[in-house]
Amino acid sequence: MKKKIILYVFVIAMALMFIEPMLFTLVSSLKGNKEIFSSPFSLPEVFRFENYVIAWREANMSRYFLNSILISMATVIILAIVSSMASFTLSRFNFKVNKFLALFFLLGMMIPMHTVLVPVSYIIGALELKNNLVALVLLYVAFSLSFSILVLTRFMKGINASLEEAALMDGASYFQIYFRVILPMSVPAISTVSIFNFLGAWNNILFPLLFINDDRLKPIALGLLNFSGERGSEYGPLMAAIVITILVPLVVYLLFQEKIESGLAAGSVKE
Amino acid sequence: MNVKTNKDKAKIFLFSLPALVIYILFLIVPMIGALYFSVVNWNGIKGAPLQFVGLENYLNVFKDKDFLISLKNMFAMVFFSVLFHTPIALLLAVAINTKFRGHRFFKVIYFVPTIFPLTAIGLLWYFIFMPNGSLNSLLEFIGLADLAKGWLIDSSTAMGAIIFVNIWAGVGYYMVILLAGLTTIPEEVYEAAEMDGASAVQKFFHITVPMLKPIITLCILMDIIGTVKVFDLIFVMTEGGPNGLTNLPTTLMYYEAFRYNNYGVGSALGVIIFVIALVLTIGSESIMNRKEKNQ
Repeated sequence: MKKKIILYVFVIAMALMFIEPMLFTLVSSLKGNKEIFSSPFSLPEVFRFENYVIAWREANMSRYFLNSILISMATVIILAIVSSMASFTLSRFNFKVNKFLALFFLLGMMIPMHTVLVPVSYIIGALELKNNLVALVLLYVAFSLSFSILVLTRFMKGINASLEEAALMDGASYFQIYFRVILPMSVPAISTVSIFNFLGAWNNILFPLLFINDDRLKPIALGLLNFSGERGSEYGPLMAAIVITILVPLVVYLLFQEKIESGLAAGSVKE
Repeated sequence: MNVKTNKDKAKIFLFSLPALVIYILFLIVPMIGALYFSVVNWNGIKGAPLQFVGLENYLNVFKDKDFLISLKNMFAMVFFSVLFHTPIALLLAVAINTKFRGHRFFKVIYFVPTIFPLTAIGLLWYFIFMPNGSLNSLLEFIGLADLAKGWLIDSSTAMGAIIFVNIWAGVGYYMVILLAGLTTIPEEVYEAAEMDGASAVQKFFHITVPMLKPIITLCILMDIIGTVKVFDLIFVMTEGGPNGLTNLPTTLMYYEAFRYNNYGVGSALGVIIFVIALVLTIGSESIMNRKEKNQ
């Protein structure tokens, strides 16, 4: 009994540490400016949902939100296609060159985004790619390829060869084997990888900071900073914008909790 | 599968071509560019000539007082992250693993900050730490008003505040990893220890910690490498201020290149960050491999 009490005191105290700042933000997002400072810890006198309307409409959060959905989804889809194709070569055939290729793809894991910022900004300038979302997406793809290929190759190596050999006997082309046999069987691994790739693209600001300065194209994490920079004293709507920004990762987590946790546990995910 | 003809091999190789092209164009070429840019001077103007300067950029970095401050901050951040992340995460994981009523709910609460954008987290804490923010209101409320200060403006607390937020935002990540490790420890081991009259504390130190050692090591190593790459929190909360006292090499690199247009110095810093991350990664791999061999 005493043990139980200690346990609950500990987990509740820790939970307060984690939830209190988030709760404070959520509650403040429904308050007026004055109220946030005069009574920071009480519930709102009236629930000012208009803060969300202001953030969503006037502060352009809707635009940023859609941009991020678009950018993240494009990143996820391109990654799923190209990394599963590359993993098909790497996992299902024993070429001599595969070992080298696998190692080459692994190199990217070691390269921090910060290292390439200057050359990337030079190339963006030279090729007139400023405010080009395709370039942004392809940068995300390039920087997530190592991780995606590593996980998918590992998974595909575990698929039994008899199925594709039978398909080959039946005269199936390599593309058919990839598309009809390997791809469907790899869906669990591809979905895990896609969740992490989605969150990675959603949360990143470094690359957009470098060359997306058109307000209509900014992703949400950057747009949020924009908002706080330009209208930093409208606390209620700003808190609402923070809530809007974290809403999607929260939903993604609640939907795919098991997959995210087992993915992390597999130790296959880089920070 | 075994493939015989070269034509078939070429066909199969085509599958990895799209990935290879994107990877080379958007990662390998910029990486080579990074090395190149670190030994030239570029004024940031599109198409301006690049001037070869040898190792001058690197020398400038090492002479720069701000760089030494950023290194010192990095070490402090790594030290405190390692000190708090994994131990707190382990305690939480052990608590969750007792499967008490509501443990799932608590796990969600501890974990969710780790998947939020760090910009949002940084902003959230910025409003708590600011001079008229809720932390000072709280201090006032409990009668400690003289402790109130501008936490992110005051040079004695700014770095500590950032380190705290970085710990706050990461604990759940290590908790989930350790939790998965805990489930691999057979129940019988604990039962046997209980029969011998071991207390909960004894079980923790004599069974849980030793059995989880490889995973604890992994967490610490991931923590070190991850902390070196922290950027968003500082970018949002202090912009490296006051007076550059809260910079890490990552933020210093960004400000040198894109705020002060010292692209050469910025590039050199970028390469130095790469070397730090590389050394830590290779070092940790070899530690892990040695661990595995010993077992």
